[in-house]
Amino acid sequence: MKKLLQRAAVVSVAGFMALGLAACSGAADASSTSGSGKKSTVYFGVSAAETGQYAQYGQQFKEAFDLAVEQVNAKGGINGHPVALKYEDSQSDPKQSVPVAQKFVGDSSVVLVFGDYSSAASIPASPIYTAGKLLQYGFNNSNPDFTAKGSEYQWSTSITTSDTYKWTADYIKKRGIKSVGVSYLNTADWGIPAFQAFKSEADKVGLKITDSEAVLDTADDYKPSLIKAVKGNPQAFVHIGYGPDASKIVTQLRAIGYKGTFFGGQDEESFDGTPAAEGAINGAQFVETSTDPAVKSFVTAFKKKYPNETDVTSFEAGAYDALNVAVAAAKKGGITRAGILKGFKEVKDVPSVVYGKITFDPTTRRVQSPQLTPTILKGGKWVVYNG
Amino acid sequence: MLDTLIAGVLRGNVYALGAVGISLVFGVMNVVNFAQFSFFGLGAMLTWFFVARLGLSFWLALPLVLVVCAALGLIINAAVVRPLAKFLPLAAMLSTYAVSLILDNTSQAAFGANSRVFPQVLQTSNLHVGNMRFGTADVVMLGITAGVMIVMSLFLKYGKVGRAIRATAQDQEAALQMGIPVALVQNLSFVIASALGGLAGIFIALYVGVADPTSGLETGMTAFVAATLGGLGSLVGAVIGGFVLGILESFGIYFFGGSADQIIVFVILIAVLIIRPGGLLGKVPLISSEPLTGTFLGKGRPFRIPRWVWPAALAVAAVIVPLIGNDYVLSTGTQVLVYAIIASGFTITAGQAGVMALGQAGPIAIGAYTSALITLYLHVSFWVALPLAGLAAALIASILASPIWGVKGHYISIATLGIGIVIVAVIQLIVPLGVQGIPWPKIGDTVLFTAQDFYFIDLGVLVLTLLVMWRIRRSHLGRVISSVGADEVAALASGVRVRDYKALAFAISAFFAGIGGSLLAHQYTYIDTSIFSMLMSLVVVTIVILGGVNLPYGAVVGSLILIGGLEALRFTDELRIVVYGLVLILVVRFRPGGILVRNS
Repeated sequence: MKKLLQRAAVVSVAGFMALGLAACSGAADASSTSGSGKKSTVYFGVSAAETGQYAQYGQQFKEAFDLAVEQVNAKGGINGHPVALKYEDSQSDPKQSVPVAQKFVGDSSVVLVFGDYSSAASIPASPIYTAGKLLQYGFNNSNPDFTAKGSEYQWSTSITTSDTYKWTADYIKKRGIKSVGVSYLNTADWGIPAFQAFKSEADKVGLKITDSEAVLDTADDYKPSLIKAVKGNPQAFVHIGYGPDASKIVTQLRAIGYKGTFFGGQDEESFDGTPAAEGAINGAQFVETSTDPAVKSFVTAFKKKYPNETDVTSFEAGAYDALNVAVAAAKKGGITRAGILKGFKEVKDVPSVVYGKITFDPTTRRVQSPQLTPTILKGGKWVVYNG
Repeated sequence: MLDTLIAGVLRGNVYALGAVGISLVFGVMNVVNFAQFSFFGLGAMLTWFFVARLGLSFWLALPLVLVVCAALGLIINAAVVRPLAKFLPLAAMLSTYAVSLILDNTSQAAFGANSRVFPQVLQTSNLHVGNMRFGTADVVMLGITAGVMIVMSLFLKYGKVGRAIRATAQDQEAALQMGIPVALVQNLSFVIASALGGLAGIFIALYVGVADPTSGLETGMTAFVAATLGGLGSLVGAVIGGFVLGILESFGIYFFGGSADQIIVFVILIAVLIIRPGGLLGKVPLISSEPLTGTFLGKGRPFRIPRWVWPAALAVAAVIVPLIGNDYVLSTGTQVLVYAIIASGFTITAGQAGVMALGQAGPIAIGAYTSALITLYLHVSFWVALPLAGLAAALIASILASPIWGVKGHYISIATLGIGIVIVAVIQLIVPLGVQGIPWPKIGDTVLFTAQDFYFIDLGVLVLTLLVMWRIRRSHLGRVISSVGADEVAALASGVRVRDYKALAFAISAFFAGIGGSLLAHQYTYIDTSIFSMLMSLVVVTIVILGGVNLPYGAVVGSLILIGGLEALRFTDELRIVVYGLVLILVVRFRPGGILVRNS
């Protein structure tokens, strides 16, 4: 019996390894041969985290993508060609996003790829997409270097971190606030460059930073940093980060007795539901409660398809826009890799739930003059703020 | 100052509660239990689910969560940990890592990956001292920590089962001969620890205010450090360790900033271990076989590999795979090869010298950054930068690790884990932004950048690595290092300078880690510190254990399964990691000594 088990184990391991090789080699020939009469399907690839640390964002993207694909196909797809997505889980890990990029490049049916999420996964994949002449649409990449140091195949509709935090510094100054305490995430691809942009603009407009503290997004307890950050009694507090860490920060900031206005946070479930976050002010691109008809119909459709989701956030909105931009480009330039690239260079005024309308600046390969709207968190919802 | 002190006490309280469960399992099973961290996240998510989704009252949800965690703990111990822990703590440790992968990803699939607002089941800010607010929750948690500690101490001292637990902790086999039902005792300890883990998870989430399936990992890690600091296996030590760490960390962050957090934690740990190698309250074993590997070498011998396999394997790797594989296969191949290089170099530390170092991401990062920066700014050629990266990694890692070689057993694993994390945190301070535009290798004017180019470069380096490792093993030096791992006391008695040889083995491993880091950096063309995570260190260790801890070529097989397997499982999508964990458990269960090692 023991012998048998041993043999079984050896066989299963050998089988697993063979499977590994087989699965690797079986990837390339997925392109569909179009049947008679029916028009061929257009495939977009998605390289994102479906599992692991960043799975939260991967799931949000997926929900919005699926909704957008449904709507596009209901309206006849791309000139009659239906649209479909091919998802590959990268865990936002370069060890996986690089092979995923090769897989997409080798799959001739894929004409564009969305993603990846973090810079550490997106930028290592960029040279591969460039070599494969496959457009890499990092719709979520706020790191300016993604496009600035990329090739003509890297495009993004995300506002850059430097633009966001320049705006934030200006806005705070305009509100008559003279001094701020700052905390920012100690991450190379986001928090640190964002803080640098904020600081240089604050210095320029004469906004005093009484103290700035780098914090880790994975930490749970920020009190020692915050005690120090508010020691100089700043009039307001700025946190440069995401929703989950901002909700911990704002709660603990109130717990140490700080009462000034909180600038920061994000339209995200855990932040919106945090009691201490009430009254937080943030520059937003997408406002769920906006009265704009396009936004309204998107929010309604989204909640209908996903009744369990309490919030529709800028992550979903960004992904929804991204798919529509890709479809518009394919309609304009054609449903080949070269056609899509041509389309990206030519599209104008694509309807958007984030920006109203999207037109690319062909030199930066980002959205022309993106605007931010001041919003305030009231009763768990972000609303436009004119105070 | 008072504010910072109170913040430190509150923080220490969380660590103390987390550390008690970790210390308990370790004392009885002698296993580092990574699954304990998952129970923090699971406890939090279950409570969120019962209270926020199902609308149960907290006082009903609390026992439910404890029962679920306890039951899961029982299953995990009976099915996975105990069968391995008896003979092979190392394999058991690996399987707990697999279990934690499964738990985290199942929880993510069941509850969603979103961060959730944790229901305020107890007041969290209704009291204050000066400006510092805290709440009933903190007081209750303090009470529970004290209660658990007192009850557990009395139970362990006077209770019949408690004494059986202690006897098992002291000497399993003697306890078995005295008629103590060791299996039952171990199951019980695991169940108690799992329930405590769930409980700690609830309070961590209450304290923090938000929860997600992987929350508590960071706190759990620090709690683990606290348990080590106090002395693994000592409950009072765990509590003291928790408070000491919480308070020192709090002041450390106040003076040096949050970005220095991990540096502070591990510098404290390493400083304590240098002065007291067994932790604050732990006993220093007089004669300690390395508990992680000492038993390992005795069990099982490697399969004899027929001579023809080597040229055949080389032919497959160098000719057949590039011929029939497309770029996707080759690019997966590059990752397999690089990790094989790193892991193969690591076998001399993990296998021969018997030091299960857990922080290889540190030297990998040193190699990657050295190579990236000198090619970018000093315009050194890649071919020169590659060996320099290895040398820099060996040099810097050795200097940083030099004080710890007197530390023994599991403590050295935690200490090296700390060194790895500190190295990456320091790099983040020196080079805060990501490094982009790292040049591709060149031969003459030909730029090498395709998957195929990197595949051949990596393959060449791997072959060299294996040759070097083989030469070292056959040399006098290799045999001396092996003697250190096989029986440290005997080696010491024979006049071998054990500490120096461990350090040398570590330096050799760091050299190859640095080489691997350089290869990754030039292929990715972009690096930032998020790449060199604790997960990366764990992957390296797992590869080595999987292939056979003492076999450089086993690392190649381990890498093929672990790195290649991740790609091979793409057909299951969301369940990929769960299946991956299950496969890992099965492999470890049936080949506990490594795939290429015969069971004894």
